[in-house]
Amino acid sequence: MSVKTKRRLNRVLLWVVITVMGIWMLFPFYWAAISSLKSEAMLAMTPTTFLPRDPATQQFTIYTRNYQAVFTNQAFLRAIVNSAIVAISVTLLSLAIGSFAGFALGKLRYRGKTGTLYVILAMTMFPAIAVLTGLYAMITNLGIPPIPSMIITYMLFTLPFTAWVLTSFFRELPTEIFQSAQVDGASPFQTFYMIMLPLTAPAMVTTGLLAFIGAWNEYLFALTFTSVAPNARTLPVIIANFPSQFSMQIPFGEIMAAGIVSSLPLIALVFIFQRRIVAGLTAGAVKG
Amino acid sequence: MAQGGASDLAKREQRLAYWLLAPTFIVLLLIAIYPLMSVVYNSFTNAVFASTTPTEFVGFQNYRTLLSVTVKSIPPKRDEAGNPIIDERTGEVAYESAVSVLPREPQRFRQVTQFSLFGNRYVLGATDPDFIRSVWDTVVFTVATVFLELVLGMIVALIVNANFKGRGLMRAIILVPWAVPTAVSSQMWAYMLQPNRTGFFNTVFWYLGLGSGEIPFLSDPTWQLPSMIMIDVWKTTPFMALLLLAGLQLIPSDIYEAANVDGAGPLRQFFQMTLPMLRGTIAVALVFRTLDALRVFDLFQIVLGQARYSMASYTYYQLIQNRQMGYSSASSVVIFLVLSIFAIIYMRSLGVRSDER
Repeated sequence: MSVKTKRRLNRVLLWVVITVMGIWMLFPFYWAAISSLKSEAMLAMTPTTFLPRDPATQQFTIYTRNYQAVFTNQAFLRAIVNSAIVAISVTLLSLAIGSFAGFALGKLRYRGKTGTLYVILAMTMFPAIAVLTGLYAMITNLGIPPIPSMIITYMLFTLPFTAWVLTSFFRELPTEIFQSAQVDGASPFQTFYMIMLPLTAPAMVTTGLLAFIGAWNEYLFALTFTSVAPNARTLPVIIANFPSQFSMQIPFGEIMAAGIVSSLPLIALVFIFQRRIVAGLTAGAVKG
Repeated sequence: MAQGGASDLAKREQRLAYWLLAPTFIVLLLIAIYPLMSVVYNSFTNAVFASTTPTEFVGFQNYRTLLSVTVKSIPPKRDEAGNPIIDERTGEVAYESAVSVLPREPQRFRQVTQFSLFGNRYVLGATDPDFIRSVWDTVVFTVATVFLELVLGMIVALIVNANFKGRGLMRAIILVPWAVPTAVSSQMWAYMLQPNRTGFFNTVFWYLGLGSGEIPFLSDPTWQLPSMIMIDVWKTTPFMALLLLAGLQLIPSDIYEAANVDGAGPLRQFFQMTLPMLRGTIAVALVFRTLDALRVFDLFQIVLGQARYSMASYTYYQLIQNRQMGYSSASSVVIFLVLSIFAIIYMRSLGVRSDER
């Protein structure tokens, strides 16, 4: 085998693997998408069809009533609003508080730094389930409504993460900028506010996005805190417990439609900010 | 540096640092440390949520109920002459029922599983078989998913690290499973795993001539765990791949050029260069994923409900369904301790990394 054919063979092999990988990653999502375009009768066809087809004629047909049903479903619409309120508030709060901590950890010299770094790192691995019982009791005793309690408690996983990632971004900024500002007579807080913060805007977008995705997808706390408050339920809770109003059957068509609607914004964000997300995720997890 | 101005500045800097860190620590104290303390305290009581009965201190009772296990040998059934009875249909020795050998005092033990060893039959009993089973299932789930995700994630990472047209698009595509909310992906897979040919997998197996087309993936105990593992592998391999990709990009490319000149093949390059240099990254990724897998909740709760528990979903049901606050606190503490051990390993492996650099 000449070098050239060998190289060509490698190329073909690479593309085979890439194709398999792409299908593997995307197929479940494709399946959900076509299932959301099937009626009850089309969903019940055996064997199942790879395109939405009419049960009688086998013709390709698209059924849009699932989406209509989803967009007229009050519980689902309320869940979108709830999820948006919770996720946006969590993101802004953890960015604000986390950037303070990130700046201190990344740029300031103070006693006890290694200790605090380790505490924050340990917190990024803190298991939510371990405090579920305690948080639930605390929130019920204090009578905090479900939405504020979700906003506060989601900080358990977003805040250490944002603080940690922003620390590594702050650390990479050249110290000279910071020092020259000091020489010019800026107070440390002014330096932080007027120089560091604008410089870290890209990092803020990245970490904010990751915090947003985390909060948008959170299920354990949402399920627990809204167990007696249906009006406060977020999208994951609604989708996981989709009510079948008209039949005993699980309404998979509508569930898939709801699932697609609630994933699409995230997938769009991921595609737009792909590079930054990869950088943020890996900075949070791997960089020591 | 001994000038008054400099040390004044240092003092100001230190004060600012404490002020900037204060909000983070207050929040974490409020939502992590305080609840954890109350969970530890509650785990020693018989607290029932929203109940009027007074809470009593019960010491280690909850832990004893959660963790008590015993192994007893089951004697074979014997006829009047004392010979073991052989089951006529299967040709195997018939055994007494497990209930007869499991202790009832101080608490009743129930069967978790039976197994044979050196020709003897044993029963594993526990005072809370559901919890022991959830621990076992979670551990099996963790080991299997982390292993598969490491292998597949490595393949994915090597591919998206290679140079080809459309690499950026591929890197975006592998983020899709990660971005889809677990609640959604669990429902997606639950639908694909339907127990008849309305489900994708049963249809494909049926086309391929495997199975009857009616495999009850989610209700048959032998298929439940493999199904969970498959869903999690799909969902989380991308994350593993990203961690490994970050490690791959730290490896300088000129060492590969040197290896190419030396005539080392790609497999040899992978095992003798890439893998050793990725050791730190792999260690971190492994423990990071292990921690995540050990606390799995969404997937089990949504797809299997109360048919089969993970450690986390068991704790959730004890709290919300049974309102056993003391008891669920104890299982929270057990999970916390198990996870902490892994977290310490994680910190250690991180420490090793930063020393090397």
